[in-house]
Amino acid sequence: MEVLLIHLVNALLYASVLFLIAGGLSLIYGVMRIVNLAHGNLYAFGAYVTAWAIGGVAAGAPSSLLLVLLPAGAFAAAVLGAALEPTLLRPFYKRAEEYQLLVTFGLLMILEDLLRFIWGPYPLSASELFENFGSLTIGDSLYPTYNFLVIGVGIVAAVFLWAFIYKTRFGVVLRATSQNMRMASALGVNVNRVYVQAFTLGCFMAGLGGAIVVPGQSAVLGMGVDALVLAFIVVVIGGLGSLEGALVGALIVGVVREAGIAWFPEIELAVLYLAAAIVLLVRPAGLFGRP
Amino acid sequence: MPGMMLELERIDTFRGPAQILRGVSLAVQHGEAVCLVGRNGAGKTTTIDSIMGLLPVRAGKVAFQGRDITRLPAHQRALLGIGYAPEDAGIFPDLTVEENFQITSWLARPGGAGGAPAPAGNGYERIFSIFPEVREFLTRRGLHLSGGQKKMVAISRAIALSPSVLLLDEPFEGLAPVVVTRFIEAVKAIKALGISVLIAESNLVNATRVADRLYAIDRGEIIFRGQPNEVFQNEDVMKTIRG
Repeated sequence: MEVLLIHLVNALLYASVLFLIAGGLSLIYGVMRIVNLAHGNLYAFGAYVTAWAIGGVAAGAPSSLLLVLLPAGAFAAAVLGAALEPTLLRPFYKRAEEYQLLVTFGLLMILEDLLRFIWGPYPLSASELFENFGSLTIGDSLYPTYNFLVIGVGIVAAVFLWAFIYKTRFGVVLRATSQNMRMASALGVNVNRVYVQAFTLGCFMAGLGGAIVVPGQSAVLGMGVDALVLAFIVVVIGGLGSLEGALVGALIVGVVREAGIAWFPEIELAVLYLAAAIVLLVRPAGLFGRP
Repeated sequence: MPGMMLELERIDTFRGPAQILRGVSLAVQHGEAVCLVGRNGAGKTTTIDSIMGLLPVRAGKVAFQGRDITRLPAHQRALLGIGYAPEDAGIFPDLTVEENFQITSWLARPGGAGGAPAPAGNGYERIFSIFPEVREFLTRRGLHLSGGQKKMVAISRAIALSPSVLLLDEPFEGLAPVVVTRFIEAVKAIKALGISVLIAESNLVNATRVADRLYAIDRGEIIFRGQPNEVFQNEDVMKTIRG
């Protein structure tokens, strides 16, 4: 029973991080119709900044200060996103999709090198916060308490995002722009401003994913690409452009991965791809996507 | 020209490589209802899109209340007071009718139409005075509206912006005759609020029922301008418009 409970918590932990990454990816696509391949390295950027802040600048500080510094990576990724959208992406909106893919793929590579240039090739750790949180007992096993914080952040982020999109003025304008950009513009909506805000929010989510994950695992080169691939599995299952889809997709991937680890550890990733392939065959637009 | 709300001076507009408008000039005065009549593909929608800034004007000038707006982006034109209801209504399908209105009412200018006071409260009373039916489907999503309801919501949404001039692209198209009469009454009510109206219309009879002045367009050129009753006496124009 306790083993099952631990698997369930692990699935939720994984789903929380995946939701933050895939939710941001989906939000950006939903509003701007851009598949942002650089998204994975915005997640990595968030992880590096938080690891640098917690494990480097403020190493040895009290846990409360480290907790305050935890979202530093999210804000840094948001600022980076706010700078990238108008300068590198906007000129390509009227070009064919392959140009946008090329630009965002190039950006993925540039960001990877930027991380290497700033922080070097070695992993960056912020495990102090993880350790300070200690462990709790589930049955006879010890389980890291910090993981519950990650799950909590994922849940709070999902609720806040839902409220932001469906209960605020900005959310109404955002949804209108995503459904008919031309009409929104003709009604007085500054579409360029909405785009930069949506992109910034999407990058914030990716950065937050990296920031909360880094105390439990080091920031390493290549983590962005791995996360991007998993985020794509989530959005393929949930439907690209749908936040509900990102949430359900992340939960499915979290559970399937954990089940894969428990019963078929050798083919853990293959099980995920199989799940995505089945959804693609049955519902090509994903569970919540529109054909 | 005094009292001028909207003025096009010899504008040329292209869609891709094809030139659609050739030296189109027209004017809408304060409080006036003007119809732009023509067959399908004559250039009516392109004219409306050029005024709204949805298509770039290659040559010529678009002026609104004496100000050159030729190079302004669409959203700035809307905020200046140009309301727009497109042919397909352009309702946001996943938003409720009220959310569709909220977008424009939040962005509405404090001065309101023609310098009139801004509408009180949420501004919907003015909408309900023109289309009381809208009250009944405020909570319905755009996706679930009928064609006539969509057109009603599109016009109401544009009014919620407190515009000085309203551009209506084929507002009567696809409506039953009795509903057309209802919409014509609505346009007259909008005009009575002090809002100028420019209507792109392919049905000449409908146009003459609502217009103070009339322009006819064919192959991207204005071929007639004058009073609605004069058009019937011009055989060439009648032949062109009716095919």
